[in-house]
Amino acid sequence: MTFDERLKAICAGMAKRGLDLIVAVHDGAHFIENPNPVTVISGVKSLGAAIGLLDRSGAVTLIVAPAWDEQRVRGLCRRGRVVGVDDVIDGLRGALPAGKTLGTAGLAAAPYALARRVAALCSGAVVADDVVFDAAARKTDEEIAWAREAARIAERNYRHLLDIARPGMSEDELAVKLRLHSRSLGAEDNFLMLCASPHNRAVAPSHGRRLAPGDIILAEITPSFRGQLAQICRTVVVGAAPALLREKYALVVGAMNAGIAAARPGARMAEVCGAINAVLEAQGYGEYCHPPHIRRRGHGLGFASMRPGDVAPDNDTLLEPDMVFMIHPNQYLPETGYLMCGEPVLMGERGAEPLTRRRAALAELR
Amino acid sequence: MQTMHPTVLVGPADWDEARLPREEFSARIAAFWGACDPGIAGAIVFGSPRDHAELAYLTHFTPKLEDAIALVPRAGAPRLLVGGGANMLGAAKPLTWIETLVPLRGAGAAIARWRDEVGPLALVNGDAMPFGLRQEIDKALGAPPFDATALVTAAMRRKSPREVALIRAACAGLDAAFSAMREAQRAGQGMTDTVLAGEQAAWRRGAQDVRSLFGREGRLAPFTVRDDAPADPLQVYLAVRHDGYWAEGFAVLSGGAPPVVASARALLDEALQLAKPGAPCRGVAEVLGRAAAGRPHPLTAKDFGGAIGLALEEPGGLTAASAARFAADEVFSIRAGLRDGGDSAVVSAIVAITETGHEILWPGGATA
Repeated sequence: MTFDERLKAICAGMAKRGLDLIVAVHDGAHFIENPNPVTVISGVKSLGAAIGLLDRSGAVTLIVAPAWDEQRVRGLCRRGRVVGVDDVIDGLRGALPAGKTLGTAGLAAAPYALARRVAALCSGAVVADDVVFDAAARKTDEEIAWAREAARIAERNYRHLLDIARPGMSEDELAVKLRLHSRSLGAEDNFLMLCASPHNRAVAPSHGRRLAPGDIILAEITPSFRGQLAQICRTVVVGAAPALLREKYALVVGAMNAGIAAARPGARMAEVCGAINAVLEAQGYGEYCHPPHIRRRGHGLGFASMRPGDVAPDNDTLLEPDMVFMIHPNQYLPETGYLMCGEPVLMGERGAEPLTRRRAALAELR
Repeated sequence: MQTMHPTVLVGPADWDEARLPREEFSARIAAFWGACDPGIAGAIVFGSPRDHAELAYLTHFTPKLEDAIALVPRAGAPRLLVGGGANMLGAAKPLTWIETLVPLRGAGAAIARWRDEVGPLALVNGDAMPFGLRQEIDKALGAPPFDATALVTAAMRRKSPREVALIRAACAGLDAAFSAMREAQRAGQGMTDTVLAGEQAAWRRGAQDVRSLFGREGRLAPFTVRDDAPADPLQVYLAVRHDGYWAEGFAVLSGGAPPVVASARALLDEALQLAKPGAPCRGVAEVLGRAAAGRPHPLTAKDFGGAIGLALEEPGGLTAASAARFAADEVFSIRAGLRDGGDSAVVSAIVAITETGHEILWPGGATA
């Protein structure tokens, strides 16, 4: 799929819903969980607030703040007109045609001060997030190439973790070093969750705790290359891994492999989740396959669109070629605590292809 | 200054009682209640990873991953509602002096219950709340709560000696970063590695966060992809955060001495003379704008810096429209920019306003 083909698909969705214009809103806070409709329709990851207008003919107007960033955005915007402004609402007021049937995307996640003013200008608009994001469930050829590069960076970043992590180093220090390293490899951002404990309850953002022998380091390494994320989930023991931990980690890897095997075109995402859970349930861990221990076994990878969504029991999305998403069992087990294990996969014609060269394996810092 | 916001905050943000003791926060909260309508019984204080200066001011908490809300009663102990579920509470605890942390779930209902317990509520930084969350809270309360944001931001303007000490630490990180970038440029490193050398130097000094914008020909852009070609002159903006407090600086890195940089520096020095208590903030903007008339840098066309502290851009921008006056204990970042033919430069400094004038916290430099 190309960028233009995706825009056509969005326009077709607009026609189906009777919409003349999509007003896509994003505030520039590029959180991994918040999909960005402006990026979907323009290809741009904005510095500040941005509003993208897409009409049914495929014409795009991109309004960005701050005004001084206009020149940079012109170089990135895939098509259409770019308007640099101090206040995107002023820009929207000037660019919004009268008498059109409007749909909005991204409004619920936008900050109140921005969204309230957009909503006031677009009175009568319907929520049309699905029109934008559904069409972006399949990645473009470029996004797939960028996801591959992001996965390559993630693996090298993990190798660096194994090289530099040592007892006495704080989680924060390790996270900062990894962030810098991934930038040196070309990642413009990295959603890096890293924590350690002898018995983790979950993966969490780093803080000042210092690594100690016997710790289990959890690392969710998620570089972004040209705005496309890829993630790997890894577990590292500070010292020698006890036999029980090895055994349980192998169980989680087995669950992940079952999930990857179940991810085939035409399958429902819920089936991938079910395949993972089945492996763990067979070993008596059924109660740990649900909240509060786990709520999903993977997720889509933005920053643009998070489709096909979570690897979760209630996700009935049919898998298609060119979808990119995470499969990560990331399981809490009472004997070992939380264990991380996950790969980014690309859906092909015959099944899911991990974008990584080496799948997760329990590592030891000796 | 607007920078590219990272998807998760990774630097050290633990609360260090030796640097900011609990009494400092108690005094801030007491001052807030002293200024607040006596009919208000509790404050809802919101913070997101991107926009949390008010929350950090009252709780020290930096939301590294997801949003947080502090419920601060007029009488009694505050609570912190942390996004991400119960499993995130352990990682959040070291970041604040607040003892009671609970998951941020069903915020509207939880806040309505709290209102029923304590009485009328005020809201701080509600404009930064996600639209859906804010609508949920307004609906649960039956009406939008009183907006008390300005009470907090007004108090944040005057920095305590401890706060100034932390801004000095951030300035020291800025200095180290620009020194490292200068060395890297002299060593012939490419543009990306030059800037990364600066970021690394700031992180090594214990920075909580580091942001950069940089480019050739006076342009400023966030890191997108590697650029391994050397750049001279190289326009750089760097922001360094230390224990919550930001310092920022613009400089042009060059082995030569571009005349436009010297001109911008002279302009900045002239403007700095106007930064003294009682002087109008617009005076600085007028001098910088007038001198650059006809050759403004896009970044300094209207905006010449502003108050800095827990946010990179605190209320109090230096614009020609500003009605504010400088006051003792405020801290400002002041920038001057020029474009002269094909050359351009933005340079800056950070000053603390004193009782009699100002103290330079970060001097900047013609070519850093």
